[in-house]
Amino acid sequence: MDEQPGLSEQYRRASAWPLFVALGLPLAEIGVLFGLVPVAVGGLLLFVGSIAGITQESGYVERPWNLLAGLGGVLLVLGAVLALSQIPFSAGALTAALASNGLVVRGVSIVIAGFVAIGVGGVGRFVEPQSV
Amino acid sequence: MANEQIALTLLMGVLLVAVTAFLTRIEDWRSYTPLAGGGGGTAEESGYAREEKPGGLIRWLTTVDHKDIGMLYGTYALATFTIGGLMVMIMRTELLDPAATLIESTTYNGLLTSHGITMLFLFGTPIIAAFSNYFIPLIIGADDMAFPRINAIAFWLLPPGALLIWAGFFVPGLMPAQTAWTMYTPLSAGVGAGTQSGAGVDLMLLGLHLTGVSATMGAINFIATIFTERAEDCTWANLDIFSWTILTQSGLILFAFPLLGSAIVMLLLDRNLGTTFFAVEGGSPILWQHLFWFFGHPEVYILFLPPAGLISLILPKFSGRKLFGFKFVVYSTLAIGVLSFGVWAHHMFTTGIDPRIRGSFMAVSLAIAIPSAVKVFNWITTMWNGKVRLTAPMLFSVGTISNFIIGGITGVFLAAIPVDLVLHDTYYVVGHFHYIVMGVLGFMSFAGLYYWFPIFTGRMYQRTLAKWHFWLTFVGTQLTFFAMLLLGYLGMPRRYATYDFSIGPVEPVTALHQVATLGAFLIAIGFVIHVWNFVQSWSEGPIIEDGDPWNLRETNQYTREWQWHHRRMQTTIADGGEGDEEGEESRFATDGGEVDDADGDGADDANIDTDADDSSADTDTVEN
Ligand code: HEM
Ligand SMILES: [Cu+2]
Repeated sequence: MDEQPGLSEQYRRASAWPLFVALGLPLAEIGVLFGLVPVAVGGLLLFVGSIAGITQESGYVERPWNLLAGLGGVLLVLGAVLALSQIPFSAGALTAALASNGLVVRGVSIVIAGFVAIGVGGVGRFVEPQSV
Repeated sequence: MANEQIALTLLMGVLLVAVTAFLTRIEDWRSYTPLAGGGGGTAEESGYAREEKPGGLIRWLTTVDHKDIGMLYGTYALATFTIGGLMVMIMRTELLDPAATLIESTTYNGLLTSHGITMLFLFGTPIIAAFSNYFIPLIIGADDMAFPRINAIAFWLLPPGALLIWAGFFVPGLMPAQTAWTMYTPLSAGVGAGTQSGAGVDLMLLGLHLTGVSATMGAINFIATIFTERAEDCTWANLDIFSWTILTQSGLILFAFPLLGSAIVMLLLDRNLGTTFFAVEGGSPILWQHLFWFFGHPEVYILFLPPAGLISLILPKFSGRKLFGFKFVVYSTLAIGVLSFGVWAHHMFTTGIDPRIRGSFMAVSLAIAIPSAVKVFNWITTMWNGKVRLTAPMLFSVGTISNFIIGGITGVFLAAIPVDLVLHDTYYVVGHFHYIVMGVLGFMSFAGLYYWFPIFTGRMYQRTLAKWHFWLTFVGTQLTFFAMLLLGYLGMPRRYATYDFSIGPVEPVTALHQVATLGAFLIAIGFVIHVWNFVQSWSEGPIIEDGDPWNLRETNQYTREWQWHHRRMQTTIADGGEGDEEGEESRFATDGGEVDDADGDGADDANIDTDADDSSADTDTVEN
C-alpha cells in the first residue's frame, strides 16, 4: 500500500464521495431549473466528478477518467439536443437565442459542463501516469 | 446581473476547488486497490488490518456503515419532527380563537404546507429508514447493506432536500409554498391569481424531488439486501416480519416515488418553461390529481406498513408468545401492498369523475379494510392470554392498535362515496389520517426508539419519564384527533386559518378547536420529556451489562439483533458499569411489568445464544 493511504483505503467503512454526489445533484438541479449557468455547470461537474470517483473507489472501474469523459459526453449530447431543439443551426442564431431563450441558456450550460468534464477526463488520463 | 453572474461563477469555482482539495487531502484516490463488487465484503468482526472508520466529525460525514447511517437518519428524523411540530404548534395556537390573531392566513398556509411535507417526507420516511438501516442487516444476518455507498448517498440527499423545502421561510425575498402537501393544480402551477408563482414553490418542489430520489435509492438497496444478502440460515420461510414489511414498503416506493418525481418535473416544466401538462387547455388539472394520488395512496401505506411490522415485532416480545398467525400477517401485508395501487381515486370522489369509476374505486377501497382488520385481530389474539408486560415500547404498541382501529374505521367510512361527499375536505379527513400518521407511525417510532434504546446506547432509558411520555402522547392524541373528527361532522373545512360559524350559544366549533389545541400541547410536552429522557439517559443512564435486557430468552424470542448486541458487548468489554448495589436486573427487563416464567410458546425465531451471562451485575434504574 501507499505510504500515505487514503481515507477509504485505511478505513473499511468510510467513503468521502457520497456526500459530494448528494451535494452535486441539488446544485445541478437548481442551476438548470433556474437557468443559473455557473451553478448548473458547477453542480453538474461536482455530480459527474463524484460519480466517477465513487465508481472507481468501489472498484467498478480502474481509473476514473474514461468514465468522467463519458459522462461529460452524455451531458454534451443532452445539452446540445436541448439547445438545438430551439434554434436553426447557426452560430448567429445561437448567440441571439442565448439572450432570449431560456431553454438555450440551460442547454448551453449543460454543454459547457460536458466539455469541462471531457477535458478533465482527457487530461487526467494522460497526465496521470507521470504523477503516480 | 452581470456582477451576480461573476460572483456566482467565483463561488462555484471556489466550491469545486475546495472539494477537490479536500478530497485529495483525505483521499489518496490514485492508490485505490480495486475491490470488485462494491467492497465491504469482509466479515463484521474479523481482525482485518484496516480499521473500520475514522474518528470525529469525519467519521459521520464519510461513514458507509449501515448502523451509523441508521443513527444519522434517526437524528435527522428527530430534528425534522421537532421542526414540523413547532410549525403545527404555531398553527394550533392560532386556531384557539376564530379570528386571525396570531399569524396571517398566508403564513398559516405556508406553515400548513411545510408541516405536511416535513412530517411525511422528512420525518416519516427517514425515521423508518433509521430503524431499517440499523436493524435489517443485523436481523437477516448480512454484513451491511448491499450497496453501502448508495446508502450514504440516499441519506445525504435529505439535508439539502430539507433546506430547499423550507427555503421559502428563511431566504429573503421568497414566499413559502402555500399549495398544501397535495400541490393541486392549477393553484400550484402558479396560474390564476398567481400567488404561487414564486421561486419558493419551485425550491420546495426540487426539495421534494430530492427526497424522492433518496427514498427510491434506499428502496432499491433494501430490496437488493433482503434478496441477496441474507445469512445462510435466514430463509424466505423464516424471514422475520419487520423485513417482510420493509420489503413490501420498498416495493411500493419503487413503483410510487419515481412517479411522483416525474409528476413534479412536469409541474416544474409547466411553471417555468411553458408546458401545459396540467393546464386546462392541456392535460387538465385533474391529471395532476390522478398522478399525485397514484403515488399518494401507496405513500400512506409506505408510512403505515413498517410501523405495522414493528407492532408485529414488539408485541410478541412483551406478550410472552409468538405472533399469532404469522403467515396471515405476511399475506395481509402483501395484499395491502398490491391493493394500495388500486384505490387512488377515493381521494377524488368529489371532482366529478365518472360515477362508474368512482364505484369501482369504492369497492377496492372497502376491500383493503379486510387485510387491515386481519392484522388487528392477529395483534389482539397475540396478547390474548399472554403474559403481558406493560413496558414503554409495549404501551406504545398497544396504544397504536387502538389508534389504528379508529383511523382504519374512519377510513372505511370515507371510502363510501355518499359519506365522502359530505365529509370530503373537512376536519374529519384530517382526523382520519392523523390517527394513522401520528397514532401509528408516530407511536411506533417512539416504541422502536425505546425498544432498541439499549442497543443504540448500551444504556437504559428512564422508565418513569417514558411512561409520562406515553400517557401524555396517548391522551393528547385522542383529544386532538377525536376533536377533529367531531369538527368534521360539524362541517369545519380543513386548511383554514380562521373560522367563523357559531352553532347556537355554546360555539361547539371553537370549543372543539380549543380541545384539539390542548391535546397538541400535551403531545408537545410529552415529546420534550422524550427528548430529555433520550439525551440524558444516553449520557448518564445505567449501563446495561446484560445482553438480554428484555428477558427475551425466557420466551425463546432472543432475536438476531440482540444476539449481535450481546456479542458486541463481549468483544468490547471495557470499563464495567457503575453501581451494582441492587443487582435487580428484572427491573430493567420488565420496565415495570411483572416478570413471568416462559410459557414456552416456542417462537419462530428461536435461536438462543449459548451462554446466559446472568451475572446480576446490573445497575439500578435511574428514576432517582
Ligand atoms: C382501512 C384503510 C383506509 C381507507 C379505506 C382509507 C380511505 C381514505 C379515503 C376515502 C380518503 C379520502 C378522504 C377525502 O379526502 O375525502 C382518505 C384520506 C387519507 N388517508 Fe386514508 N384510508 C385508509 C387507511 C389509511 C392509512 C393506513 C393511512 C396512512 C397513513 C391513510 C392516510 C390518509 C391520508 C394522509 C389522507 C388524506 C390525504 C389528503 O387529502 O391530504 N389512510 N383515506
Ligand atoms: Cu387513499
